[in-house]
Amino acid sequence: MTVLAAPGDTWGIPGPTFLGIYLLATVVVVVGTLVHRILVLAGPTAGDVGQLGPQQVAYLNGGEQLAVWASLGGLRGSGAIGVRPDRRLTTGGPLPAGTTPLDQAIHLAAGRNATARELRRDEWVRRALDQLRTGLEQAGLAVSPARRAALRRGAFLLSALSLVGIIRIIAGLQNDRPVLLLVLCQIPLVVASILLHVVPRRTRAATQALRGLRRQHTYLAPASGPAYATYGAAGAAMGVALFGTASLWAMDPGFAAEAEIQRQATSGAGGSSGCGGGSSCGGGSSSCGGGGGCGGGGCGG
Amino acid sequence: MTGPQGVGIGWRPEIAGFVADLPGLRFVEVVAEGVTATGPLPEGLATLRERGVTVVPHGVRLSLGGAEPVDPARVAHLAAVAELVGAPLVSEHIAFVRAGGVEAGHLLPLPRSREAVDAICANVARAQAELPVPIALEPIAALFDWPDDELDEAGFLTEILLRTDAFLLLDIANVYANARNRGTDPAALLDRLPLDRVSYVHVAGGTEQGGYYHDTHTDPVPPPVLDLLRELCARRRPPALLLERDGHYPPGPVLRAELDALAAASGFPVVT
Amino acid sequence: MSGGLAERQAALVAALVAGGPVPPGFDPAALAAAGAALLRKRAGEVARHWPLLAAGLGPRWQSTFAGWAAGRPTAGSLRDGWDLARDLRDRGTLPPLGAEELAAREATDRYDGHTPPRPRRLPGWGRAGGAVAIQVAGRVRLLRPARH
Repeated sequence: MTVLAAPGDTWGIPGPTFLGIYLLATVVVVVGTLVHRILVLAGPTAGDVGQLGPQQVAYLNGGEQLAVWASLGGLRGSGAIGVRPDRRLTTGGPLPAGTTPLDQAIHLAAGRNATARELRRDEWVRRALDQLRTGLEQAGLAVSPARRAALRRGAFLLSALSLVGIIRIIAGLQNDRPVLLLVLCQIPLVVASILLHVVPRRTRAATQALRGLRRQHTYLAPASGPAYATYGAAGAAMGVALFGTASLWAMDPGFAAEAEIQRQATSGAGGSSGCGGGSSCGGGSSSCGGGGGCGGGGCGG
Repeated sequence: MTGPQGVGIGWRPEIAGFVADLPGLRFVEVVAEGVTATGPLPEGLATLRERGVTVVPHGVRLSLGGAEPVDPARVAHLAAVAELVGAPLVSEHIAFVRAGGVEAGHLLPLPRSREAVDAICANVARAQAELPVPIALEPIAALFDWPDDELDEAGFLTEILLRTDAFLLLDIANVYANARNRGTDPAALLDRLPLDRVSYVHVAGGTEQGGYYHDTHTDPVPPPVLDLLRELCARRRPPALLLERDGHYPPGPVLRAELDALAAASGFPVVT
Repeated sequence: MSGGLAERQAALVAALVAGGPVPPGFDPAALAAAGAALLRKRAGEVARHWPLLAAGLGPRWQSTFAGWAAGRPTAGSLRDGWDLARDLRDRGTLPPLGAEELAAREATDRYDGHTPPRPRRLPGWGRAGGAVAIQVAGRVRLLRPARH
């Protein structure tokens, strides 16, 4: 039975019909977007991820800036760079073997006495970072800007739909038509379009790899007080990559302060709070926190 | 369960990653006060346990040599940690760390008097009653002696070990330090100790400062200490050796070289 | 039975860490060396809990700590460092890095100087040497860096 356009229908389309088409369109777009996202953001299977270097891990964890910090951490750990009192970097020694293009670029920039903050704008560093990113994109771990834009199309479509809905509501209000259902539809629609606007920079495979690496390297967490000298430059770089600039501050607070390395909001006092009232430390005694520092050996030292 | 075997290293959270990477490692020692009695174990330690590595809890704050009876809560904690890690034995020191309500913050030597022997034997007996596994006692290094010592070091230690029937955790770095600071011959002490009671041996580094040798645990193991280890092994090789390092950790290869040196000096298999 | 032993042990501990007199019969030089070694060890442990403070003082860390801690028995490394940092703050000699570390700690835990510090459940803030830190739900943020 055909529904004839009744007089006074907004735009000549009856309310229920419009609502039906509108909902159908919304569902199609949302489902399509979600399916597209799930497929594109999956990344390679776990076995194909392969070994990730500290700077790659840093890029996936915190973008270009963290990759630069990770490289700085490694270079500082091997003594290849230092900092002058005027907050500018200097070279402290030759580059060790097995450095990445990013390390080399930063070492060169330090030779020109750049500040730590300027590093990201340095031409060679930029080139090395681009190389790093494309490598990760090809491996299916990072999501290229083009891909991210494509993934946002669904969100844009939803925003457009939302706009149509709002126009319909306004027109409907002017015509004294019931608009309640349409208004109710708008709320989840707007929320969905906002949520779907956020597109991650890394694939799920990368997130999983990061999680695995963090578990594997809990000993590098600043709260564990890692002995950076023992773990070497690679350990220092990985520490920064997985746990942020807090690692740099833990490793060499003087350097971090002089070079004005950005601090992150750290959570609580970490391991430094020692025993925190647990029975293991007795009342008011020194907080040993698992280190061997309590009374090893005789009076010496 | 058998006791520790071969070359081991003191487990510390600062070098947990390094310890985890030692392929031939079969035992570690952990400071008992750093482990929560109810668990969970620190991650690195749990992984080692899964691999079947023996973990020996080492108490540092029980103050068994103190005049006051040992705090039952501290003994209970040590016992709980022993259960948690499935340890074959625990160890503590022939020393005291607090007196008169003041924490010394370090291990202090006992006077070598009969009164002190009675005190520590009583405390060890109290501890043994609550511990599920045997205890090994470690003599410490001291820069000074008490004025009214009745026994000499060998006699003092032997008497305590015989009366308590405890094992001996022989710290040869301490033996060296004491002999060096008193001007005596460290090997002579080895000859007079009940070496058949040794459950394992500590090896640690130190440094000369202000005319004394300080057993710091934050320096490399000096050649005289390795020589003394060789002397010990020539008399009676202990079941196990433990490299004790508490801070100022050197680069990984240096630490591995120290472990290899211990293996070479004793003839144990290399763990690196 | 152990009365004599207890008293003599207490006298020794007092001499080593609380500025007490050298008990009769002991070698004063050896006790002094032992006391100094104890302070060095303590300084190392406190530095592990207060790395920025130690780094801020740099080569003066050992002497600053030893000077402050001599005659003052340990209350645990965390409290030792806290007390020292507050002392330096009151005297105006707290280095900037140490000020920031103290401000962050004051924001995170409540410490009255006599009982062990306890974590703050509510948001808090801390100030030292011009540095201001706030803490909300365990996350600390340095609002203003210390005066240099």
